[in-house]
Amino acid sequence: MKRVRTTAAAIVATAALLLAGCQGSDGTSSSADTKTFDFWSFANINQKADVDVYTKAHPDVRVKLTEVGTTTETAQALTAALAGGKVPDLVLIQADDLPKFMQSPDNFVDLTTLGAGDIKGNYLDWVMAQSTTKDNKIVGVPTDVGGLAVAYRTDLFKAAGLPTDREAVAKLWPTWDDFINVGKTYVQKTGKPFVDNTPTSVFFQAVNQGSQRYYSADRKLDYDNDQVKAAFDVTLKAFTAGISAKQESFSSGWTAAMKKGDYAVVCSPSWMLSQMKTNAPETNGKWDIATIPGGSGNWGGSFLAIPKRAKNAKAAWNYISEMQSPKGQLAHFVSQGSLPTTPSVYTDPQLVGKTDPFFNNAPIGKIYTQSVVGIKPFYFGPKDGPIGTELLNTLTSVEQGKVDPANAWNTALTNVKNAVRE
Amino acid sequence: MRQPGPARLPRVGKVTPLTTMLSPAAAAPDLPRPSRNRQIRQSVRERLAPYAYISPFFVLFLIFGLFPLLFTFYISLFDWDPIGEHRFVGLDNFSDLVHDPRFWGALRNTFSIWVLSTVPQLLLALGLAHMLNHARLRLATVFRMSVLVPYVTSVAATTIVFAQMFDRDYGMINWILGLLGFEHIDFTASLWGSHVMIATMIAWRWTGYNTLLYLASLQAVPRELFEAAAADGANGWKQFLHITIPSLRPIIAFTVVTSTIGGLQVFTEPLLANPVGGLTCGAARQCQTVTLYLYEQSFGQFHFGYGAAVGVALFLIVVAFAGLNYLLATRIRSERP
Repeated sequence: MKRVRTTAAAIVATAALLLAGCQGSDGTSSSADTKTFDFWSFANINQKADVDVYTKAHPDVRVKLTEVGTTTETAQALTAALAGGKVPDLVLIQADDLPKFMQSPDNFVDLTTLGAGDIKGNYLDWVMAQSTTKDNKIVGVPTDVGGLAVAYRTDLFKAAGLPTDREAVAKLWPTWDDFINVGKTYVQKTGKPFVDNTPTSVFFQAVNQGSQRYYSADRKLDYDNDQVKAAFDVTLKAFTAGISAKQESFSSGWTAAMKKGDYAVVCSPSWMLSQMKTNAPETNGKWDIATIPGGSGNWGGSFLAIPKRAKNAKAAWNYISEMQSPKGQLAHFVSQGSLPTTPSVYTDPQLVGKTDPFFNNAPIGKIYTQSVVGIKPFYFGPKDGPIGTELLNTLTSVEQGKVDPANAWNTALTNVKNAVRE
Repeated sequence: MRQPGPARLPRVGKVTPLTTMLSPAAAAPDLPRPSRNRQIRQSVRERLAPYAYISPFFVLFLIFGLFPLLFTFYISLFDWDPIGEHRFVGLDNFSDLVHDPRFWGALRNTFSIWVLSTVPQLLLALGLAHMLNHARLRLATVFRMSVLVPYVTSVAATTIVFAQMFDRDYGMINWILGLLGFEHIDFTASLWGSHVMIATMIAWRWTGYNTLLYLASLQAVPRELFEAAAADGANGWKQFLHITIPSLRPIIAFTVVTSTIGGLQVFTEPLLANPVGGLTCGAARQCQTVTLYLYEQSFGQFHFGYGAAVGVALFLIVVAFAGLNYLLATRIRSERP
């Protein structure tokens, strides 16, 4: 009998292991109460502050916030969840990742069924267009946009004999060509590089200022067009002018050079400001912010969406409609600095009056909102991410001396073609 | 482990076999004999018991090993969007793969990094093992344990530290090069530079581990051999060449096999070596390995079908190399010194 018992024990042990293995997918089955919901966000953007504000106003509601990781990791986790795991009730999706999910909108609750139709007019139309399907289903509500502007070091500008006042600096560079010329002057005077790099600081800004990016208006793949080519060429021009410090954005060298003042200019979308503060706290007060060359444009932003299989879509929607209302976004801007998507608050004294001491008390609300009004909507397609990455990577290879600027455009087209597998 | 039990009796008419007389049931004839059904059940249980004991591994292997493997083969025949549609495309993924310069580049990088890491690593390990085996080494245990420290350090931590050391402008290596009057080398941006950098990380992690394997097997070599050689006037190098290496042949073959399989699957180091390079390990994919390419396709761009095809290709390559290694290893083993 003893042997039989141990056999049984072995089988039970196996079963237990198997159960443990399966638990990941549906283990934490929450009860069906309507006061609790799961919320997946990116890390490092302090979404917790928003959640705290909400739960303070609604003490009966419990928000289980998970900071998954980077924006990409959050999108990956969401994909895995949608493919057959436990989905959150509410999820934050970065604008560059959204087009992939827009390909299969059936994975998400159509927010018009919860009342999004009534509030969609509150948001910038070109942002709302990104999360609206052809047949007018709304997949996500925008939480913020990434307005464009240039951060520059006033002390270094002064040493180079350039104006330091933000209005005067803005007048120096209405176009990217002017920007390059200012850079040349700076390099001549100081012998040091002007801008952190050209792929991110020029190309990713310029390509987001056009009326078309990698898709045509009728949603066809069309990356080999004049506007993209123009942005690419002006980047090559900036590189060959010798104004780049060739520090890849977000690399350790980029951070180190920022601390040491080894470049004077970073083209900084609104969401980059907080990174600069964390990366180079010792440069506090030495920066200022001027408008971007080339006119209005946007890079980045995020959306809140509710997966179809969410257990508690209603509670998630209540959160969206309260926290992403114009009033909610304004409050979030004042406390966290991310740019509202609701133009009605762009003239609010709280927004206009918001200044940042790290950037020499620049009126960041006023400068950044200027860059996001008057944007013409262009279509974001599912392959936007890989195309942008390949173009950027080719330009980075140029900076690293691995690709000849004369061949860069053709190399870029080949790389993109491989990436989109046509 | 067959036991002569009553249930296993050969039925041969009315003749009472010897085993019956010896069986406990026969020795105690007044006890009720177990019914035939029960006897069969008992026997089935006894036969199944060993399988039940080893089942945990095999059941888990089926679920987490074999099934994903077969399912990967299946997915590789589809244009498979994990959250969208699954379209059967036959062998299209594979024909694309053959013409995909990114795949061949990744394969080149993988082999280059493998050679650059494995060869110096195993040579260094051999030398270290020989020295650590020296009879007059003081504090032998301290040295022997310390070679294992890199192995128990987290790969991520090692990689991040190394990546900073190899930085173009502010890294320690380039700082030293600068002091010596050399130009800075942009390790992460260049093909060879990035390969050397990643190979260094791998070698740093695995040299100590291989050293200990060699050392363990060296300690089985009779010390008299070394002493006799020393008495005959063989110096350290001669001893190393003529005693250490020949006696380590089988274990050398083993480490070559394991580091080949490991080398073909290098992932974490290239992923973290160039943090801004993302899943391509640099702007020109200069250090993207096959596994990293697989990951980029599957989980970066959600081309599960194509990613699976890369996985199948890698599987075939590993199988081919394992076979080649096996042939080589059997030859090495048969060539007795």
